[in-house]
Amino acid sequence: MSGLYGSSRVAIRDDLAKAHDRAWERIGRPGTWWDGAQRVAIAAETRHASACTPCRRRKEALSPAAIEGTHDSLGELSEVMVEVVHRVRNDPGRLSERWYRGVVAAGLSEEQYVEAVSVVAHIVAIDTMARGLGLDSLPLPRPQAGAPSRHRPVAAKSGGAWVPWLEPTDLSDAEADLYPTGRPAANIMKAMSLVPDEVRGFFDLVSHQYMPPLAMRDFSREYRAISHSQIELLAARVSALNQCLY
Amino acid sequence: MLLRASGVTQNREYDLSAVTGAVEGDAGVPHSRLLVDFAEAVLGGDEAALTRARVALSEAIGPAGLADAAVDRVANATGIPLEAEKTAASADFRAALGVDRFDVAARV
Repeated sequence: MSGLYGSSRVAIRDDLAKAHDRAWERIGRPGTWWDGAQRVAIAAETRHASACTPCRRRKEALSPAAIEGTHDSLGELSEVMVEVVHRVRNDPGRLSERWYRGVVAAGLSEEQYVEAVSVVAHIVAIDTMARGLGLDSLPLPRPQAGAPSRHRPVAAKSGGAWVPWLEPTDLSDAEADLYPTGRPAANIMKAMSLVPDEVRGFFDLVSHQYMPPLAMRDFSREYRAISHSQIELLAARVSALNQCLY
Repeated sequence: MLLRASGVTQNREYDLSAVTGAVEGDAGVPHSRLLVDFAEAVLGGDEAALTRARVALSEAIGPAGLADAAVDRVANATGIPLEAEKTAASADFRAALGVDRFDVAARV
């Protein structure tokens, strides 16, 4: 085994280890709306947020608005970005459209928001696996030089979510590979389509850490060491703990 | 919903209240109590409980990773609704489990 888990004391499935290698490389690379240093700073703040005292007090409160005070942050990101990273990391089940509109009104673009959510989600996925297995968190990637591409799909528009998204019928040639073929695109696939590279990257990770989209509904065989029903019980319990209906 | 679909395919009926942690025993899914204990420990802050859950699960079925902690954040942070067909197909157990309160539309 090579790459991030080359010296791991726990054997990691080869395809999963390679997916994590690719994810780590992506986080350090210039993205679409954030450069490499900013993406790594978002990743670092995501980890730091887990020990934020105001976040813990808000999580225990009946309403997050009931507790005042600024987040414990590393100081590398703007105040609004720290708010986004901490709330998405620590209390995602109580995010609201009003809160989302507020962070956009405070100066964060919708594209920057979506890409930041993706970086937070990458870190949560990889760090949660490490915690589950009793491994140390991986050292964050080194930022790579370069400018963000700033590509916004021309056909992105308001749909059923807070953020604009791309409907399958609106895909241009540049996004033709975005959704699986042979079945309707699930809303979770469309959620980050305002930044298409984040859909590609995040679902590359999900396909290996969870299952590829078509395998999820293929009950004729098992794809992992545990069965569909065991995976879905874990997934459903985690969703309930995270207060996620989806 | 995939949990129920899995059960239907295998002619088994699972106790879906395991999803909310309400089931003490086995929910019909092999090693369900160990799986639920592990999920709760990974997301909780009790390191000793996590170690116990990890060892117990590992002895029973081998190590497993969790991806859904991240998928939930994407769903919650972008405000995506449940698709219409899933809304209809899951209405009964959503009501029974009381999870409709987690709907993005209910969050203001």
